[in-house]
Amino acid sequence: MRNGIALLLVAALALLRPATVSTGGGVIRGLVELPRPQAAAEPRPSAAVIGAPAVRPIELRPAVVYLTAAPRGAFELDDSARASMRQQDETFVPHVLAVTTGTTVEFPNVDATYHNVFSLSKTKAFDLGRYGRGASKSVRFSRPGVVHVFCEIHSHMSAYIVVFAHRFFAVTDAAGRFAIPDVPPGTYTLAVWYEGEVRDTRQITVPDAGGDVESNFVVR
Amino acid sequence: MSCVPSAVGSAGSRALVLAAAIAVLAGGAAAASGQIVSVPPVKIAGVTVLVAGDVSATYGGADPGWFLYTNYETSALRRLRAGITVDARPVRWLAFVADVRAETGAGVRAYAWFVRITPLRSGLLSFQAGRIPPVFGARARRSYPQDNPLVADPLMYQYLTNLRPDAVPASADDLIRMRGRGWLASYPVGNRDSHTGVPLIDMTRWDSGIEGRVGTPTLEAAAAVTAGTLSNPRSIAGPIRPQVSGHLAWRPAAAVTVGASFAHGTFFDQTLRVLRPDLQPGHDSQSAAGIDADVSAGRWLVRGELVFSQWRVPSAGTAGLAAPLGAGSAYLESRLKLWPGVFVAARADRLWFSTVAGSTASATWDANVTRLEAGAGWTIRRGLLVKASGIANWRDGGRVRREYLAAVQLVAWF
Repeated sequence: MRNGIALLLVAALALLRPATVSTGGGVIRGLVELPRPQAAAEPRPSAAVIGAPAVRPIELRPAVVYLTAAPRGAFELDDSARASMRQQDETFVPHVLAVTTGTTVEFPNVDATYHNVFSLSKTKAFDLGRYGRGASKSVRFSRPGVVHVFCEIHSHMSAYIVVFAHRFFAVTDAAGRFAIPDVPPGTYTLAVWYEGEVRDTRQITVPDAGGDVESNFVVR
Repeated sequence: MSCVPSAVGSAGSRALVLAAAIAVLAGGAAAASGQIVSVPPVKIAGVTVLVAGDVSATYGGADPGWFLYTNYETSALRRLRAGITVDARPVRWLAFVADVRAETGAGVRAYAWFVRITPLRSGLLSFQAGRIPPVFGARARRSYPQDNPLVADPLMYQYLTNLRPDAVPASADDLIRMRGRGWLASYPVGNRDSHTGVPLIDMTRWDSGIEGRVGTPTLEAAAAVTAGTLSNPRSIAGPIRPQVSGHLAWRPAAAVTVGASFAHGTFFDQTLRVLRPDLQPGHDSQSAAGIDADVSAGRWLVRGELVFSQWRVPSAGTAGLAAPLGAGSAYLESRLKLWPGVFVAARADRLWFSTVAGSTASATWDANVTRLEAGAGWTIRRGLLVKASGIANWRDGGRVRREYLAAVQLVAWF
């Protein structure tokens, strides 16, 4: 629940801030030490199935680092932005996608089997139906929040789309590093979101002179 | 973002019991993510353990025609069920699987328990031994009840015919007298107590034996040797011939699966031979063949099965039952998603029987049945589904010839 409240508060809090977006500003960067998944996501066990599923790789589960409050000008977003979350080897790739409001996300299927992408999240409920290899359907995300995405056919497939009302966020890379560029000078709350929850928050100040500001996190 | 619904059901003790059960089963996964997701694998003393569970509550109208009676002597429309599946893998290629269920009328029992050997990392070849899932047909291997778009099961898997494995008619007239009486049939040869008959394919119990599966995503074959038959699964084989069954599935396109099945085994219980050693030898088998298809596209899902079965009944010397007793059943069901989480579904279902010659007239050995069911479902959240349907049954025999019922079902799983 905390993560939802935090993200929804972004819009309201931003209106209270007098700052405007500058083209320069500082870069908030750092490292998020993430837990290593112990095993790959497995299909829901069923005694009715004859045989076992193929051995699957352990997928990367990144974190999202973002400002909980952003300058007013940060909300002047591009409504034509597009992103992609493909279905590959019975996995959503990427597992976490962070986008701004107004972004249209494509869901191409590159597997030989059918998939049925859906979400019942309050931020955006949708059901794309079943479609096969080479086909793609898209969804436009117009509200900030977290969208938990599933495949109706494959119980082990899940992913997150985190929708922001501003552009001050970053998804960690394979090493856990992140960088949020062009942050205007000011004091902000930096939050780390991981697998459906806000795991940590802290105050951070970008000096008037700009430059790099480092902040590291550990997520257990 | 939390998607936790504010309520599970209406007031009432039944709803409260179910809500409590759902809360226990859903547990921490729901709290953590706002959506019920599969429990991730855990390592216990080096063994990878996967756990899944489900709870369902079904409530429907009274069924004086016994159209939806089960061989647990309860109505399929008035029952609570909870199940838990554990899959423990000490090494990649070896798994121990158990499915324990508690159900109205049946108590708590081990529905399935078997060892699974998967020699290839690709999973394309596997063997299972113990109390195993049937290879025949398609429906028995689907997850119940969350994969059933309606409340009732198809007739071939649920409707009780008047045939019993522990008692046989002395004549065709005995059979004809029991038309439409599968819920409580009695015969003069063997066990004379009144008892329920059997469906064409029994999904409430699984057979014991070994099975193997080999295949690619396009073509898959499975075969099993088990102690019982489709209508009469057994825990132990005893001094009888085992059943041999098989299923071949072909997927010409990602959205299309077509399958064909066969099965042949000893249907009648050994106790019958002990009681009546004079019964005609050899006439004790069930043979079945079937085809199944599953097609989906966009918001549509269409499935169907056609099964023919015949039983060779041991005769006590009287005429009229020399030929096998035949039965056929077919259903076609479809589901259409309207909005995210909301769907409608319908099924047309028919069960028919071969004709036997009685002393005064010929008739089908059991009464033919037709069922139409239509309903809707709402996935309140992932892992929590409520369904409602109307069920119309028609039968050309028995005391009650037609019946119209309504039913609701709440299903939760993780």
